[in-house]
Amino acid sequence: MSSNVTSGGRRPPRSGRSGTRRSGLGRLGPLPWIGPAVLLIVVVVLWPVYEMVRTSFLKISVSGFVRGWAGLDKYRQLFDEPDLGSVITATVVWTVGVVALTMVISLGLAQLFNQRFPGRRLTRWALIAPWAASVLMTAIGFKWMLDRTAGVLNTLMTDLGIVDSPEDWLGDPSTAWPWMMFVAVFVSLPFTTYTLLAGLQTVPGEVYEAARVDGAGVWQTYRRITLPLLRPAFLVGVVINLINVFNSFPVIWGMTRGGPDSDTATTTVFMYQLKSSDIGESAAMSVVNFALVVVMVAAFLKVSRWNQEEA
Amino acid sequence: MAQQTIPATVGTLESASPDGRRRPVRPRRALRPRTVVVAAVAWLIAAVFLLPYLQMVITALRPASELRDATYLPDHFAWSNFVDVWRESNLGSNLRVTLLVAGGSTLLVLLVAIPAAYYTARVKYRGRKVFLLLVLVTQMFQPTSLLVGLYREFYQLGMLNSVWTLVLCNAAFNLAFAIWILTAYFSAIPVQLEEAAMIDGLGRGGALLRVTLPLAMPGVVTAVIFTFIAAWNEFVMGLTLSTVPESQPLTVGINSFIGNYTVQWNYLFAASVIAIVPVVVLFAFIERHVVSGLTAGSVK
Amino acid sequence: MKKRMLVLSAACAAGALVLTACGGGGAGGSADGTVTLKLVAADYGDKASNSSTVYWEDVAKRFEAANPEIKVDVQVVNWNDIDAQVKTMIQSGNVPDVLQTGGYADKVADDLLYKAEEVLSPATLDNLVDTFAKAGEVDGVQYGIPFVSSARALFYNKKLLADAGVTEPPKSWADLKAAAEAVKKKNPDVVPYALPLGPEEAQGETLIWELGNGGGYTGDDGKYTLDSEANVETFQWLRANLVEPGLTYSNPAATDRRTAFADFAAGKAGMLNGHPSLIQMSKDGGVDYGVAPIPGKDGALDSTLGVADWMMAFKDSGHQEEIRKFLDFAYSKENTLKFDEMYNLMPVTEDTLQEMTSNGKHKDLEPFFDLLPKASFYPLGDTSWDAVSAEIKKSGGTAVGDDPAKVLGDLQKKAEQIAANQ
Repeated sequence: MSSNVTSGGRRPPRSGRSGTRRSGLGRLGPLPWIGPAVLLIVVVVLWPVYEMVRTSFLKISVSGFVRGWAGLDKYRQLFDEPDLGSVITATVVWTVGVVALTMVISLGLAQLFNQRFPGRRLTRWALIAPWAASVLMTAIGFKWMLDRTAGVLNTLMTDLGIVDSPEDWLGDPSTAWPWMMFVAVFVSLPFTTYTLLAGLQTVPGEVYEAARVDGAGVWQTYRRITLPLLRPAFLVGVVINLINVFNSFPVIWGMTRGGPDSDTATTTVFMYQLKSSDIGESAAMSVVNFALVVVMVAAFLKVSRWNQEEA
Repeated sequence: MAQQTIPATVGTLESASPDGRRRPVRPRRALRPRTVVVAAVAWLIAAVFLLPYLQMVITALRPASELRDATYLPDHFAWSNFVDVWRESNLGSNLRVTLLVAGGSTLLVLLVAIPAAYYTARVKYRGRKVFLLLVLVTQMFQPTSLLVGLYREFYQLGMLNSVWTLVLCNAAFNLAFAIWILTAYFSAIPVQLEEAAMIDGLGRGGALLRVTLPLAMPGVVTAVIFTFIAAWNEFVMGLTLSTVPESQPLTVGINSFIGNYTVQWNYLFAASVIAIVPVVVLFAFIERHVVSGLTAGSVK
Repeated sequence: MKKRMLVLSAACAAGALVLTACGGGGAGGSADGTVTLKLVAADYGDKASNSSTVYWEDVAKRFEAANPEIKVDVQVVNWNDIDAQVKTMIQSGNVPDVLQTGGYADKVADDLLYKAEEVLSPATLDNLVDTFAKAGEVDGVQYGIPFVSSARALFYNKKLLADAGVTEPPKSWADLKAAAEAVKKKNPDVVPYALPLGPEEAQGETLIWELGNGGGYTGDDGKYTLDSEANVETFQWLRANLVEPGLTYSNPAATDRRTAFADFAAGKAGMLNGHPSLIQMSKDGGVDYGVAPIPGKDGALDSTLGVADWMMAFKDSGHQEEIRKFLDFAYSKENTLKFDEMYNLMPVTEDTLQEMTSNGKHKDLEPFFDLLPKASFYPLGDTSWDAVSAEIKKSGGTAVGDDPAKVLGDLQKKAEQIAANQ
């Protein structure tokens, strides 16, 4: 049984070809084609998901030892956490803020880098840097640049007269949040800009020429022609960013670890913080976290489709 | 489903639109003032994107005694840091693991995602919606919250500390995006092209390999870049599933410069800079392939 | 519909088959009669070349040569990750045989550990310094086996203090404040007193200051007293006298010990509560440092915070005999001396202590050797301590903020809850 599925699944194109003559495909159905993908997802993603949900109903001691079932206790405990409310609010603000900023800035960048100018290729390459470097390293790099004693950004801002003396930007939540959002936008820009650039290249040149002939202004052309044609690329950008930014762990973990206390934590970081005191409660947070991202994405998809119907 | 309404849009730089149309080439003119402004702004932005990494290089070159100095440049450049970091760590073996993991998972993603995406784009089979939903849901899970489950599973399988475990995991968590993007690309390729090939005696598999795949090259390249970079930079799974130095990827190896009492910032960044280089090389390498893939596509 | 179910169930079944087929094989015994011991240890190094992996693999190699029927599988984990990693291991049933890390009592609560006397020969047991052996006890029975120790003392930058006209190290809190003010006046760019209350080590710095005011984490009855009057007063003093006047970091609750140590070793901090590892760092940084007893509210303390890291043996796989052989080997003078000297840590065994105090190679450590017999410890033998410590690390530092009583009160409530759940 097992060997059947795996050997059939490992080389789907060939088994498809040998059994084909058209009817073969129908006979085997989707199994050889999507089977391997489903198998990989089930084994590596869904199995641990099951473990995560199960863990959220377990009583687990600090040492990691499983002491038995906890029922809904861990969820109750989680919702009793005094910090939870502010963490969820912060998560929503963080996600919406970072995604909105990313999309707006990326629209501008894509437009800019779609122009023809000397060195376009090279400058586009530079844009990739935050993507090629690991997000965690970029976050740690910024933490280092913002260091109170030796951070180059502190030195620069002091020399430019923006601040009187070096500040501890990441130690105070009111300044740590803007900096972390800046870094989160910074690392999200390459992917988003590239998505939109690719979208722009699907807009046929003739459309613009027609608009020019009609005497439309630059802004009008952009709003009436470019933006609607960019819509599909824009949607991809928003959905992927929503998921990534909501789940974003390395930026915050690399810069503040969610601290002081949980004052700069999003739900994902909070989940990780809980892990050191209660694994069960942390798993409950993961489940809630997942529910939140599903709601966010579903809400966005619904709103965007509704817009489409209106338009 | 979102996937159906969203056509292929994420391409690489030089990609033409899926229907193969290209923008008319305008004749070269002398630089206009507007172009100069555009170029200046673009160059400035490019610099902003590079500066944080330049700062990493500078820190990597600081001698340990100058790490806490609030200066722009160190008094002495310690080029030997790059040698030391190589000697005092397992970067060689870390690099090998990371290459295997990133390369292996990229290959696995392609092997698994291409047939699934192709079939999903071409055939309205039962369970198609469920499959697409499954894919979208996978995208929403992050390894960070699934670590204990992953560890338990691979412990029971006796597969801890194995490069192949990391290949499987990285492939699985990047599969969703690849399927998503490839489905969109395959959908945009006219089905008639394949039918002609199939009449010529190629099966569906042959038609996919010889006709459709070359046309979908930009999509494949996008999936490759995505998976490779994500796997290259993956950290938490490597940290949890590999606890012996021989099977730890680069990101975990770099972590060892963060000690209990000190952080060796110069070594940390030197190692990070070394880690970025292969990705940049990949970009240079794959760029050429995009172009050739495109020419192949336009000839047919 | 039917077909879809079929696909999914086939995939699941295949997955399940693979799972069971490859399962097992973790138990550590093998056909040829050799036993494999799983050793998990914390990494005291800060790069691969001085990683504790090097040390343990060498110990394992020599041990295996002497005991061919036992193999030792070494896993060294970064300090930052070892707690999470060990929890994951225990939860997954992949329990190590021997573990060397920061705390042990939480494992006693789940009855996971051998008693010390079960896995150490009488000679090795006898060789442990009494204070530490005592600190390894839960309800009078020793489970935790001390591995290395250290004590905290006040480090000061001689030059910075001398420049500011401070001739001798501060003895009381008032002295410390005055010295800090003088340093700040003379040299506004340095941190006069480095107060790291960030999540990395908040529980250490907190206890040092609380001891100075006659406070601490537990009362005479062993119950938590995190929000005692003395403790609240301590934080009020810190806030009013160090934080608000800008004599330390502006956000101590977000500042880690690594930052404080790095600043001191670079000559950018005047004073801090340090640890023997700072000796070498200061020398490397060319800082002329002095070491003095910890200042208390009314005068220098004659005790200090002592910290020990622990070795423990798990019952799970029943390798009692093999573990005993290994631990006796690991606790030989040759090995412990090598480890302590490698990382400038302090010994917990009599023979090594004797060696290190008499061989003249460790003059730097002398002030710490003097402090050790009178050291106070965390409530290590309390099975809830590890969880309480995690809470203190996370939010304890915010007690220097607006409302120390509330922060400490919340912590006390959490601690009582945790203790009640044990």
